[in-house]
Amino acid sequence: MPELGDRSRAIGPQPIGERSAPPPAMLAAADRILDLIAQRDRAMLNGMVVEKAAAELEALIDSIPATAYVSHEIIAHAKANDHYYVKARLFGENAESFTLQLRLGARGGRWIIWEAVNLTGGRTAWTSQG
Amino acid sequence: MQRMIAVDRLARPDEIILVPVERIRESRIDQGLMPNAVMPLEEDFLKGRLHGIATGEMQAMEAAGRTLFDFPDAPWEFQLDMARQVWDESRHAEIFVKLLEYVGSYLGEFPESEVLWSCTQVDDPACRVAGINRGLEGLACDVFEQIIRMGQKMGDPIIERAVDYVLADEITHVRMGSKWMRKLTEGDPERLRRAQEFQDNIDALFNFDGFRTAKEDAPQVPLVLGGTQVDFDSTLTISRETRLLAGFTDEEIDRLMKAAARSSAY
Repeated sequence: MPELGDRSRAIGPQPIGERSAPPPAMLAAADRILDLIAQRDRAMLNGMVVEKAAAELEALIDSIPATAYVSHEIIAHAKANDHYYVKARLFGENAESFTLQLRLGARGGRWIIWEAVNLTGGRTAWTSQG
Repeated sequence: MQRMIAVDRLARPDEIILVPVERIRESRIDQGLMPNAVMPLEEDFLKGRLHGIATGEMQAMEAAGRTLFDFPDAPWEFQLDMARQVWDESRHAEIFVKLLEYVGSYLGEFPESEVLWSCTQVDDPACRVAGINRGLEGLACDVFEQIIRMGQKMGDPIIERAVDYVLADEITHVRMGSKWMRKLTEGDPERLRRAQEFQDNIDALFNFDGFRTAKEDAPQVPLVLGGTQVDFDSTLTISRETRLLAGFTDEEIDRLMKAAARSSAY
């Protein structure tokens, strides 16, 4: 959406609700988890995933080449009640970027992984990838 | 250009999160919620519902365009109707994106499901219009009628009138679907049966496990909507008069109501 400026100075109906921001703790956890995924740190990640998503996360890590990625960018997040989907891209100097999507939800005061999907090569491009 | 673009190839810009509907359901179950839809009692109901409609309108626009492209040998009048629908849906998408902003949301705040696009995977234009125009746009008639009443209860003419404006088009889309389902299957009862069965599957997918009632039977509960507290439906309602306007028969509506009542008995 384009930036529409200061709406309170515009003629016409004003918004009746305010935008809500994602919890900073969720974004911080996402950054930490993405670092660990890029490093393929299975030991640390094992304690940050619900049991039913463990195999999915394992498969995601398996598809990441060792030492290929050094940084990441969160490119989108979307709210699903109290959980958040986070779409991110991993970057490395000698590797094609790697796109993945996580669902994070809080349990026992910690944000952990409920879903982990490899999106590389599909579902994110505008056109003509397939 | 490729026909029948697969569900997982639906193109979106980076900032949109697309999630298969089964995964959205799983996420709701994981959080102890009703799997099928954002219910009026939930905190994000209004934003979530308008977001679902905005993305649905976008996919309806794309789906009508794909139907036009995928069936070049369909009657010219059918193609004209599909082209007109692309135009309608594009206006609707714009309206709902503006309504999202109005209620303090934005496109991309919630995940987008692929449920409408999945109807474009069927290789028969009669099934497509049965599923999309009659099944999903029939559902839209119910959903929009409920939002219009909600806008009235909130004393909010912006929501009420914007959605009413869109509903007028949806009614014509359902009628268009009924017309083409009949015409395209003329003299071919087996094809008509398949199209009806396809629509029945869509209807069953959205009977919401008993959380649908006739609007007259919806229990009223206090809800805070757009900063205003109102008594409103706790269920997703079925609107007989809107469906009649759209050309559904009483018999079809009775069947839908019975199916909703049956699943509430489980």
